[in-house]
Parts: sequence; structure tokens; C-alpha cells
Amino acid sequence: MELNLVEHAFELKDGCWIFKAGLAQYSQARQVAKLCTCFIPDDEDEQVDDEPRSCYNCQYRRWMVAGFECLALRHFLQK
Amino acid sequence: MKNWLICIDDSDDIGTKGTGEIAEEIAHLLANMSGGHASFVTRHQLFVHPDIPYTSHNSAMCFALHSPLTLAEIHQHAVAHLVAESAPAADPGIAILDVDSHYDVAALMDFGRRAKIEVITKAAAYALAEQLNIQLTEHGGTGQGVIGALAGLGLRLMGSDGRVKGQIKLGQFEDVSLELSVADILEQTGLDAVMSTDKYRLVLDERVQLKGKVKAVYLDHQFVLLVHQEAEQWRNAGKQALQAY
Repeated sequence: MELNLVEHAFELKDGCWIFKAGLAQYSQARQVAKLCTCFIPDDEDEQVDDEPRSCYNCQYRRWMVAGFECLALRHFLQK
Repeated sequence: MKNWLICIDDSDDIGTKGTGEIAEEIAHLLANMSGGHASFVTRHQLFVHPDIPYTSHNSAMCFALHSPLTLAEIHQHAVAHLVAESAPAADPGIAILDVDSHYDVAALMDFGRRAKIEVITKAAAYALAEQLNIQLTEHGGTGQGVIGALAGLGLRLMGSDGRVKGQIKLGQFEDVSLELSVADILEQTGLDAVMSTDKYRLVLDERVQLKGKVKAVYLDHQFVLLVHQEAEQWRNAGKQALQAY
């Protein structure tokens, strides 16, 4: 995963990598997913963006009240 | 024949079969073995909060079953499949309600509503299930899935919560649209109605242009295709529009 991508799109809060743009920011979520090497589509029923390759549709996004945490980033940066 | 509502939660993990798929398999299994009928599976969104140990999302999957099977038979077969198909790291739970029994429906719906906005304990779920005579059991891990399983019953009973699992495929693709009448759509899908996002119910001879992924929602106790109007043409609503359900 590109570290530039990490710095630009996510911020570390209490050990969680949070998507800075928050909810319903589809163009940013698509842009990040396009560059991400860890993207795996979630179950179709759990997808919320019409564009398939979007962080909002990824198995590694963990929804939070105001956005999501990237679990792939957490695992990647721990290694 | 009796009417049942069955709901499961917390059976998946990253990279494993989804809870919705497992629910659909259980629905088909129970319907096929008994000559009964299973409804579409509905997905019900629950609270997302740091204190709730969901993996990536928090949703329960529910379906109705019309079947001559007994509660014990339904439980036996459903649990066997749930256990066989759940992810090793999952915390699955299942709830089974005899819809024709006398129970406090308001209490069950209230539990469902609360599970969308607050953290609820397993103890509270078991206490309510016992009070309402609902079979609620856990099958591995922490068993936290019992909370969502019970909440999913209440949300389904409310009648206007949840998206229908799966896509409606009538021959449309991402880049190839298909125009059908409402009557054709209802006949080919088994859905109950076609409605606009502001709740206008389309009549049978109105036409709808379908394109890309088409999904239905549970609204007014019916399985509904949501549409919106664009340049005086009805079109299926996109995923963003369905997020509220």
C-alpha cells in the first residue's frame, strides 16, 4: 500500500486508521480504492457505492458512526 | 402449515461466506425439505459503535417461512447449516419466532429499534426472548449474534426496514438498460410493488428503465423496487439511494 495514500486519505486515531473524508464522499473513496493494493469487494449486500471499486464497498472497511476504519491499513502497518 | 420468522446474525468474517448467503441457504433448505415457502431475505442495519464487536458491518438477515415443520425441526436443520457454514471466528446467533403465537409484538419491535441506536447486552436479548417465547440460541464464539438475531425479527415486523438480499436480474447490465412495465417487473421478480423514493406507487402499465445493479427494499410490509424519476423516465434507484433502508 502506498504510504502517500495513507497520509492523504487516513488519519490515526486511538490505533485506528480513519478515512478522513467521512461518509458519502464517493469520489474520494473511489480514488483511494483505485490506488489501493488491498481492496477486496465486500458481499454485494454490504456494498453502498454504485461504483464497485470504492473503499465504501471494501471488506476491510469497518463502519463507524461518522465514517470507517481501514482494517487493511491496520494489519499492513503492523507487519 | 405455520408461519415463522427466522433471523441470523454474526456468522461471517473477512473473506468468508456472508451472513446473507447463509440465511438464503437456510431459507431454501427449510422450504425444500418441507414443501413450504420461504420469503426473500431482508438485511437489517444495526448500530455501529466501538463497543460492538462486529467485523466490518453490523447487520442481521431475516426471512419468513411458511412450513409444516415444527419449531424443533426448524431449529435443528437451521442450526446445523449455520454451524457448518459460519466462519471460525464468528459469533453466530439465531432467533426463531412463531408468528401466529401470542407475543408482545411492540416489545419486539422496540428491541429492534433500540438495536439500531444503542449498545444492547446479550442478557437483555435472552431475557426478552424468554418473555416472548422466542427460540434464541448462540452457536460459537462469544455468541453476540443473538442480539442482532432477535433485533432483526423486530425490525422485520416493523415492515419498513431493510434491503432485500441479492440483486434483481432481468437482463439489464451496467451498460445495457432494459425497459419493462411495472406489471412485467412484478411478474418476473415476485416483488409486490414498484414505488418512487417519495412513496408514489407506480401503476401496472407505467414503464421503468432498469440498468446496472437493481435491488429491492422492504417497505410498508412489501418487497418493493425503488425508482426515481430522471428526465421524465422512471429508473431503478442506485445503491446510494438505498442506504437509508
